[in-house]
Amino acid sequence: MKISQKQRLVVASILFLFAGGWESVQAQEKATLSGSIQADVLVPQEDTKIGAKKYDETALANTYADLRLQSRYVDAGARIEWNQYPLPGYESDFKGWGLANFYARARWKTGSVTLGDFYEQFGSGFILRTYEERSLGIDNSLRGAHVLWNPFKGVALKVLSGQQRHYWKHNHTWISGADAEVSLDEWIPALGEHGHYLTLGGSYVNRYAEDEDIPYDLTHRLNLPEMVHAFDVRARFQTGGWNLLAEYARKSQDPCYDNSYIYRPGYAAMLSGSYSKRGLSILLQAKRSDNMSFRSDRTVNGTSSMINHLPAFTMDHTYALAALYPYATKTSVKWDKNQKMLLDVAGEWAFQAEFGYNFKRRTPLGGKYGTTVKVNFSHVHSAGFTPRLLDGQLKGSDGYESSFWKWGDETYYQDLNVQLDKKLSANWKLNLMYMYQRYNKTANEGEGGMINSHIAIGEAKWRINNKLTLRGEAQYLFTKDDEGDWAFGLLELSVNPHWMFTVSDMYNVGETHNHYYQAGATYNLGAHRLQFAYGRTRAGFNCTGGVCRWIPATKGFTLSYNYNF
Amino acid sequence: MIHTIKIISQLAKPLTPSQQGRVRGGWVAALFAFLLLLASCNGIPEDERLIYVEPTAAPQTPESTETTDTIETPDTPQIVQTLRYVLIEDFTGQRCVNCPNAATEIEQLKDDVKTLLNVDAIIAVGIHSGPLALYSRGNILGLRTEEGDAYYDHWGIEQEPIGYINRRGGISTVDKWSTLVREAIQQLSDVHLSLDVSSDAEARKAEISLEIANAAATDGYVQLWITENNITALQMMPDGSANQTYLHQHVFRRTVNGLWGDAYKAEAGVRDTLTYSCELDEAWVLENLNVVAFVYNNDGVQQVTEAKLNQ
Repeated sequence: MKISQKQRLVVASILFLFAGGWESVQAQEKATLSGSIQADVLVPQEDTKIGAKKYDETALANTYADLRLQSRYVDAGARIEWNQYPLPGYESDFKGWGLANFYARARWKTGSVTLGDFYEQFGSGFILRTYEERSLGIDNSLRGAHVLWNPFKGVALKVLSGQQRHYWKHNHTWISGADAEVSLDEWIPALGEHGHYLTLGGSYVNRYAEDEDIPYDLTHRLNLPEMVHAFDVRARFQTGGWNLLAEYARKSQDPCYDNSYIYRPGYAAMLSGSYSKRGLSILLQAKRSDNMSFRSDRTVNGTSSMINHLPAFTMDHTYALAALYPYATKTSVKWDKNQKMLLDVAGEWAFQAEFGYNFKRRTPLGGKYGTTVKVNFSHVHSAGFTPRLLDGQLKGSDGYESSFWKWGDETYYQDLNVQLDKKLSANWKLNLMYMYQRYNKTANEGEGGMINSHIAIGEAKWRINNKLTLRGEAQYLFTKDDEGDWAFGLLELSVNPHWMFTVSDMYNVGETHNHYYQAGATYNLGAHRLQFAYGRTRAGFNCTGGVCRWIPATKGFTLSYNYNF
Repeated sequence: MIHTIKIISQLAKPLTPSQQGRVRGGWVAALFAFLLLLASCNGIPEDERLIYVEPTAAPQTPESTETTDTIETPDTPQIVQTLRYVLIEDFTGQRCVNCPNAATEIEQLKDDVKTLLNVDAIIAVGIHSGPLALYSRGNILGLRTEEGDAYYDHWGIEQEPIGYINRRGGISTVDKWSTLVREAIQQLSDVHLSLDVSSDAEARKAEISLEIANAAATDGYVQLWITENNITALQMMPDGSANQTYLHQHVFRRTVNGLWGDAYKAEAGVRDTLTYSCELDEAWVLENLNVVAFVYNNDGVQQVTEAKLNQ
């Protein structure tokens, strides 16, 4: 997609605003011009052993260039993307190039108005969360108008309306919403004076979509609601080291591809409590969600066009083998058309608990430098349900009944992990982790049964001298299920101030005996970062922030360049 | 520009205490009104969820709607339009847990169209392809083919099940097939097709004769495929279980005349007879084999027909 006439006009307007804003603030105070360039390139090679396919192109690349002007009263920005030959694993509509994002913002003491593309989140994102996540190919920004107003102390109001980006076009539906947050401690001085902070919030989001022909059978189509309403209420209370958050969201009838076109409304509820003080932290969270997939296009599936976001409530693991089986909140219904049987619904219970404690230094358990222990437990479970079909069909029916407290039969995901961080000496640091994980591959990927794994991880860092630091990881995953055991090893040498060299290998001990090796170097100079690597990557899911994308296996040279100014 | 900013700043100055009180009260009232509004969103009741769509009438031509017997006799040489049959290319895979649902949808559509038009106007081909399909390995009978993979890559398919209905309107998920089939059967075709097929079991060869009659000028391609019914092989099911005795129908086996067929051009009123011969794999069961023939161009599949190998 080249830059169209309309976009040229918009860019010209922004440049005019730039120039005008630049001129005006020059007269008053300094403006800041900033931006970034990011390019990720793969020169692919075919490798039939791991399923890395052959590509017609010599190189594949995702490239982004951002420019931002910020001043006291006016901001403006734009982003150009070049993904004409994109990296593997992105949806086909991701391919293209052009002006992906532009905006202009006028700011004053109590608010701002933004025209163009913007990102916003209401509360925890249950009814609205627009964001950019490049590794997943997600950019669900809204293009329209956004107003933020703080009429007086303790009150924040937001109003917005726009059309959502779907790769190189915008869906024809309109997303509009409003959000209000009130900090009661600003209205009730006694609260603030005693260190108690209470914030109440309420949000509303509406999706307007024209009627369309979604067939029921050859001679009937569905009567679709043109307006879908969603609202969210929340309360956050904070005092001392305590923090409590309660949130509830509800969505009206929204028959869509994700829920197999049922008319059941959706809801999500969350309760989260944490306590922290020096050396101690506790977190407890519970979430119940049901049929809360909310997109700006009824018929779309995959990673695009999502209006909201349901956090997974499981720990985001960074160690390779701990992240082998990631979980994302279930938002779709499973239906056996031949048996006319409802197999699973888009509802779940999720719990997470975390406890962290720092044994102080110069104590028996803390040792010379102190020791931190963290225990994290997460459990995601199915919700019980009773089918409610219409003439034996799922489409067009209410789908199912599922009362709030109804517990289902299946565990979707569970992990218990214990981490220990210990500084052994001035130059040695050690991290150890043990994890027991249960991953329901059938529920999450369609087939594969329950995978039970024990994972042991050790990471050591040795500061050799002021210039050299060596970091090593050794990981092992024990399981009788799926592809069997895995082993992972990594060595990373940092040569200050510019260089880092990495070599790693992930090896399937159990079944395939494939090595997924990587070797690379990174060079940093000021705001520039250049990374070069060669190796294999395994096919699998990349789950970031609760959203997953299937990545095919690849082999070849990779080059990444980042520049921030 | 400076003046504009100053005006906005004036409008957006912090409120006085009395103004704040009025705004707070207004905010609470607005919240109440908003909650009342939401409470009135009752939704669409069950008995109002379906909208009737007028079914298509059978084409008003003197001939019957069968493509196989619409060829005119020499005494009445005029060739007229006929019902356009529908080709469903169902991209599927044995590891695809949702693909049995697509197979059920195809059978339902076949029954519905037969009830409506009194003919078997839907011809489906299951093209096992992509990473969810299986090549034969060890004890596993795989139905994936290189030609199927070529079609998968060409159409840019990323998920299964996915279908192409008469090669019009792009590839689509199963939820849209009814609409696309409904639109397809409302169209007439200028092309009549008639297949005559015979096979030699000993030599494992099929001889195919395809008669084409054109009511209008045709410019496109002729494509022939071999498909097979009643293959018992592994299929992953929607509940995640592996069904080792699943009966696969209309499975794409191979092309007869290349991946994209032969170029074909004819004037209005022209009749042609094209002949082909094709080798039949030892593993295929002759009684279950079919030949699918279709004419297509940039405007989609113009006509499709099917015949059993052993008629």
